[in-house]
Amino acid sequence: MKHTPHTVVLPFYGYAAIALLAATILLACSTGAMTGHYFQPHVLAITHAMALGWGTMIILGASHQLIPVLIEGRLYSNTLAMLCFVLAAMGIPLLVYGFYVFDLGWPAKAGGILINVAVSLYVVNVVLSVQKSGKESIQAVFVLTAACWLLLTTGVGLLLLYNFTDPFLSRDSLAFLSLHMHLGVIGWFLLLVAGVGSRLVPMFLLSKYSNTSQLWWMYALINGGLLLFVFLFVRFPESGWHKIAILPLAMALLIFGVYCFRVYQSRIRKRVDGQMRLSILSILMAFLPLFIIAVISIGSAVVGNSPVLPLVYGFAIFFGWLTSIILGMTFKTLPFIVWSKVYEHQAGLKKTPQPADLFSHRLFRLMALTYLAGFLLFATGLAWKNIIVLNFSAPLLVTAAFCYNLNVFKLVFHGRHHQ
Amino acid sequence: MDVITNNTLRCTIALAALESVVDPELGLNVVDLGLICQVDFDDAAGKIFVQMMLTARFCPMGESLINAIARVMEATFPFAGITVLQTFDPPWDHSRISPEGKRFLNR
Repeated sequence: MKHTPHTVVLPFYGYAAIALLAATILLACSTGAMTGHYFQPHVLAITHAMALGWGTMIILGASHQLIPVLIEGRLYSNTLAMLCFVLAAMGIPLLVYGFYVFDLGWPAKAGGILINVAVSLYVVNVVLSVQKSGKESIQAVFVLTAACWLLLTTGVGLLLLYNFTDPFLSRDSLAFLSLHMHLGVIGWFLLLVAGVGSRLVPMFLLSKYSNTSQLWWMYALINGGLLLFVFLFVRFPESGWHKIAILPLAMALLIFGVYCFRVYQSRIRKRVDGQMRLSILSILMAFLPLFIIAVISIGSAVVGNSPVLPLVYGFAIFFGWLTSIILGMTFKTLPFIVWSKVYEHQAGLKKTPQPADLFSHRLFRLMALTYLAGFLLFATGLAWKNIIVLNFSAPLLVTAAFCYNLNVFKLVFHGRHHQ
Repeated sequence: MDVITNNTLRCTIALAALESVVDPELGLNVVDLGLICQVDFDDAAGKIFVQMMLTARFCPMGESLINAIARVMEATFPFAGITVLQTFDPPWDHSRISPEGKRFLNR
């Protein structure tokens, strides 16, 4: 077994950190757009900066590091991984810029194509790595399936982009946004976070709880729920029946919550650090979007569609659940990568710092506090359409992103002084 | 924690040396964590075999710990060839943690 070189993984982390800062600054500059309909250039730009630049880039980086661990073998190609980074890194700003100025011409399309090629390379790398290793692991199945859903998501996204300027689908692109978003959120993010989390959470808490059948149930419910959603959405577009897919997905989340609770209960290491506390909090935060979508579904049947709730829903997913788990897990995984780079060859021979000593815990606490306060206030401001609350809370999120960047780059550049 | 060996004296020396290898996530050394399960000395071949386990099957630090154990053993027994083997049968269990290790983890 060999680690993926840090030169492959660290650029993803650095890029994602900058993307988070950029997305929160865009959010702070666009609070006016947050009181209207969700289909607005700035909202689209921020959503894609968060989903691709932040969430996807950091997960791609972390999964390049974790795949060899999960399959007990090497990553098939480091070159493919680096190419994936370069293409995605070029494509994402082009796409986000295209949305921000709402020019869906060549910059956005070129961005979309680059992202699709990058994701294709990632899928090829994952498939070949698993195939070459021959080892079976349920977590590797989660990662492989999630990668396929990601490719479908970006593929659908590219089609919608072309459909904006040269309509060729039966309906306009706006009608398919919900499909595009849920393919990504459930198929890519939820499946991958659940799969990888089911390995990382017990490992970091030193828990002996393990239940593979629970994980298979979760896998079946997430994929089954998403397939049901896609089928009903495409086959009966106006009926709203696709909303029943909430049920299997809620079951899957519940199973994941129970799994994590059991892991927490049976942990051997009693003290839980701040990074793990934030990651565990994210599991609870995953239920917030579920609650909102239930309110949207019931509310639309009773009083008609609300233009506000979909924005709160999207915000709760990207700035809530997804961001909180990444903020926590970054400072569990990145310090290890940096520690391995700088200190691994000295381990045992002389006293070395622990990975947790490599970043500022004071900055981490400040980040966590400003993030949680910013998230709760901004979500409240969105729900109430209150621009004063939005303007007050957005700088808190920018502060959290700034603290995150300081700590990430403190880690990334740590090796320079010691090599 | 039980460590199987064919040479108790030299095993004690090896374990004392291996206390310098610390699990980076937990801050606890591999001996108190109960990761070392067997240390055998083959004097005829001039080799030492260390069998170790990991707390989790897919531990990302596994490779790092194996390398560190090999380095420390090479430094302690410079004239022997060192082989570090990984085993998951039986899997690591928390009952292998020493009383000192348990106190450390419960702090």
